[in-house]
Amino acid sequence: MEFSPVLYIAIPLFAAFLIPLLGKVSKTLVKLTPGIVFLYLSYGSILLFPKAMEKPIVQVVAGFKPPFGISLYYGATAAFLITMVTIVGFVIWLYSYKFIIREPIEKYYMLFMMLITGSTGILLTGDMFNMFVFLEITSIAAYSLTAFLRDKDGAEAAFKYLLIGSFSSTFYLLSVMIIYSYTGTLNFADIAGKIDLIPPMAKGFVLVLVLVGMGIEAEMFPLNGWAPDAYSQAPSPVGAVFGGIVVKAGLYAMIRIVFLFFKTPEVMQFLIFMGILTLLIAEMAAMRQHQIKRMLAFSSIGQMGLVIIALGIGTMGSTSAALFQMFNHALIKSLLFFAAGYLVFHSGSKQIEDLEGLGYDKPVTSFFFAVGALAIIGLPPFSGFWSKLLILVSVAKAGDIAILLLILTGSVIEAIYYLRAVVKLYTRKEVPDNVRRTPISGLVAMGVLAAIILYVGLYPGVIEKWLAPAANNLLNAADYIKAGLF
Amino acid sequence: MISVPVILSVMFLGGVLAWLANRFVPKGASWTAAIIAAFAGYLVFALPSCGGEYSLALGSITLVWKSTNYSALFAMLVAVLGFLGILYSMDFMAGKKNLGYYYMNFLFALGAMLGIVYSQDLVSLFFFWEVMTWSSFMLVIYSGEEKSHKAGIKYFAYSAIGAYLILSAIVILYAQSNSFLLSENIKMFSGMSLGTQIMVISFLALGFGVKSAMMPLHVWAPEAYKESPSGFTAVFSGALSKMGIFGLGLVIFKFAANTEIFGYVRETLAWLGGLTAMLATFYAVIQSDAKKLLAYSSIGQLGYIIVGLALGTPLGIMAALFLTIMHGAFKAMLFMTAGAVYMRTGTTSLNDVSGLITKMPLTFLTALFGIISVSGIPPLGGFISKWMLYQALLETNHYFLIIVIFIASTAAFLYLYRFIFSFFLGQKEKEVEHVKEVPWSMLVPMMFLTLFVLFAGLFPGVILDPIGKAMGYLGNFKASWEPQVVFSAWGEKINMQVIAGTIGTIFILGALFIGYKNKKATRVVSTKDIHTAGEIPTENENLTYAVNFNQPFERAIAPILKWSVDKLFNLLGENLESTFEYLRYVYTGNGQTYAMYVILMVVILILFSGSIFGIHL
Repeated sequence: MEFSPVLYIAIPLFAAFLIPLLGKVSKTLVKLTPGIVFLYLSYGSILLFPKAMEKPIVQVVAGFKPPFGISLYYGATAAFLITMVTIVGFVIWLYSYKFIIREPIEKYYMLFMMLITGSTGILLTGDMFNMFVFLEITSIAAYSLTAFLRDKDGAEAAFKYLLIGSFSSTFYLLSVMIIYSYTGTLNFADIAGKIDLIPPMAKGFVLVLVLVGMGIEAEMFPLNGWAPDAYSQAPSPVGAVFGGIVVKAGLYAMIRIVFLFFKTPEVMQFLIFMGILTLLIAEMAAMRQHQIKRMLAFSSIGQMGLVIIALGIGTMGSTSAALFQMFNHALIKSLLFFAAGYLVFHSGSKQIEDLEGLGYDKPVTSFFFAVGALAIIGLPPFSGFWSKLLILVSVAKAGDIAILLLILTGSVIEAIYYLRAVVKLYTRKEVPDNVRRTPISGLVAMGVLAAIILYVGLYPGVIEKWLAPAANNLLNAADYIKAGLF
Repeated sequence: MISVPVILSVMFLGGVLAWLANRFVPKGASWTAAIIAAFAGYLVFALPSCGGEYSLALGSITLVWKSTNYSALFAMLVAVLGFLGILYSMDFMAGKKNLGYYYMNFLFALGAMLGIVYSQDLVSLFFFWEVMTWSSFMLVIYSGEEKSHKAGIKYFAYSAIGAYLILSAIVILYAQSNSFLLSENIKMFSGMSLGTQIMVISFLALGFGVKSAMMPLHVWAPEAYKESPSGFTAVFSGALSKMGIFGLGLVIFKFAANTEIFGYVRETLAWLGGLTAMLATFYAVIQSDAKKLLAYSSIGQLGYIIVGLALGTPLGIMAALFLTIMHGAFKAMLFMTAGAVYMRTGTTSLNDVSGLITKMPLTFLTALFGIISVSGIPPLGGFISKWMLYQALLETNHYFLIIVIFIASTAAFLYLYRFIFSFFLGQKEKEVEHVKEVPWSMLVPMMFLTLFVLFAGLFPGVILDPIGKAMGYLGNFKASWEPQVVFSAWGEKINMQVIAGTIGTIFILGALFIGYKNKKATRVVSTKDIHTAGEIPTENENLTYAVNFNQPFERAIAPILKWSVDKLFNLLGENLESTFEYLRYVYTGNGQTYAMYVILMVVILILFSGSIFGIHL
């Protein structure tokens, strides 16, 4: 059978339904299933990725040609991001293998698979309503995962997430309705061609609704109140899922819609402005956090702000830099969440204060945390350096020195709070003997991520060569329309 | 084939190797590191100074390395000091924990410095600049004490600000020239708009100024120097801070030189350098910790170097580069001495130990030569640079600056004398009875550098040769020299050996004379504590000789020192953090508030959609 893009959605969905059944047979099977799924999906990526880079693959579901049926659009951007999701997903599975020991594990993996389904769906779909469906799948899985530990804090965080998330889906659905009522179509490419049919007023509403609705998913300030709680109360691998997968999909959705329908200088200005606000306020808030996972959450928001700025610049260079930054952030933040997960586990406390001395007691886990911190600050020779450099270059090319300096201000703050946490780890202190060890699967997961981060840092070319087609696919609305409608 | 990539790989892979060696072989790390550093040092010296270009394509960015005469000068400094620092560390660090970590970061820092000087493109320069920053940060926090962590964070924060200023300048340049190549940017710089020029020059100067601890950007240095292990402090002060000088040289003579604002840039930097020299010296005088004293001294000496560079005359640059080399040598000597004292007595406080001269004679000798060289007394190397610097100042009619520099040089005697007096002279305390001289592996680097400063004083021409070539790279400066001779601004020749001979003779005659005259008057007596004048001191009173050594001077300069930028910056930082604390409460933790934000956002966007998006609803 030839691998087709629809399998990116179908396989995880199938696995999600299969897992509870397998749970009756054997727990080990449940645990192994996601790994097999990810391996199969990466095999698919290897097959399809080079093709998509040359020419978008558009697949029609259920035999109706676009614009009537639902179509999947596997272009260069989608290919790039889905590959990223696959890598991150695989590592998260590896990490969860020993980390999630609390029952019911089959529910955890089922929700995880649902979430992957939804995210790849968002990235793949060429249909606006279909995107809403996948958005809902992702969100519901994410709410449940937030409350997975079934404690008070988790439930509270999940409830906040649910509250804000429902705004997101409602607003998005409203915008879909408005668009459909004027254009009579739901296909992205088709709408893009007919966007002028919508009167300016309705268009303005759609724009606001999309920006706010998807801005919630993309953690744009001030819509990101859900994020710190959700990140910090969910189990650690779920934090990585949010930072590495969910938010990236949400941001992609927002940017895809904005770039297709509303790419005016004013909107781009607005994105830059919001990006700067998001970045600076998140970094400032992160500096004053006392809990390590909350700090990581705010840092995640800040990084999304940086990506939004780069996307708002809207040049070829800045868009590819933004995609690069998304890729790096997904990997690095996952590494940080993984390490933080076990550090919290070992110290028995979420407070940064209580991490003292762990650097000597748990050297490998702490080392990975330090690597992640250096990488996310943007220090060479790690991958974060290159994406940050490329973003700054593109900002300077756009000629706005003020933005450049604001981004760098954010980076200085970021450097300080990350190093404070790292230095806390390496404060000499007698730690009570702790026989618990970080399991091999967790270490392998972190090791894989650290290796990729270092490798990309030394040979940025391996990622960089795919950035240009991916950015082109995102930026160039005309090409998208042509390919999307055959 | 010796080439830049080979040298860099040796250093970085060597660092990893040292770390691995520590896992498997006891003492493996130090031996590996020493061998690696020696080998890399050999490669640096064997590398032809105008070698071919090597480039490495990393995606869309190409890194280019090449050895120039200018880089060769700094590379040699790094290689020699690096090797000596590691040699010194072998016994100094013996028995400490995490030696693999120590030597790995040490070699990384050395490799990064070499990377900086060999870089021919701005990305590679910045890349290694950051590697240098974090590897040296790792060494500052090595001890794992709370204090070292504070110092480390402070160091990193200032370095990050400096580095990001450099980065801004780099991307601004790239936006104009479409190239990261140093040569391209230099070529196109004079054609850029005045605004860009001012921005780029000031960003670069500030960024490099942080590393070279130019006031008011020096506040990280004293703590960071104090907290890093002494073997590395020697390199930190001697070579790493010189990377800032390396950069400033490029900024002044490669970028600013072809612009209209050249004169202003030079004057500003010269004055900043002069004030740095003076104020840092004052601060050095009031320190009671040897390493902090040396740190301030180091800041001051870099101030001299900046003055020399900023004068921009051949003699000034020559003085600056000569002092760069000499300062590398004598400040490394002094930090090594302080480290040696620390190793044997467990403290670097000037108020706690005294009378070590008989116990550690060779360390004393190193310290003596070190302070003579710092203070610029002939016949040692420091004299030559000071001499040329004064000549250059006279030549360019900077009379006020001469006064500032002169005050600084004079005040320097106070702290230098205190350094050697409190540790080595004065009454011998009971506590130092058991003290022994430090092991050979520490004495060898110290003695080597001692001989070097003596040699540099007698044959300055040997060092002036590579300096002259480096000046050729910076601009069309024609400088001439002969092995034993220093030139003055008016073309006079001063033969250093004659001076050395004269001084040596006077010294020996004086010593003989005093010895002979006092021979009869000398009585050996036991020391009596009479300085408490009959009062019985309480137990916690520090009776060491050198307590409050420079008290009168401290009182005299107290009004000046009341204004401290350090305090100002700290206050600023604290206020910023408390502002952040308020901002943090934007995130109240209350779901309803968050929902309200969402609604508000929608309302605002709809109300102002006309002005925000240009769409009127």
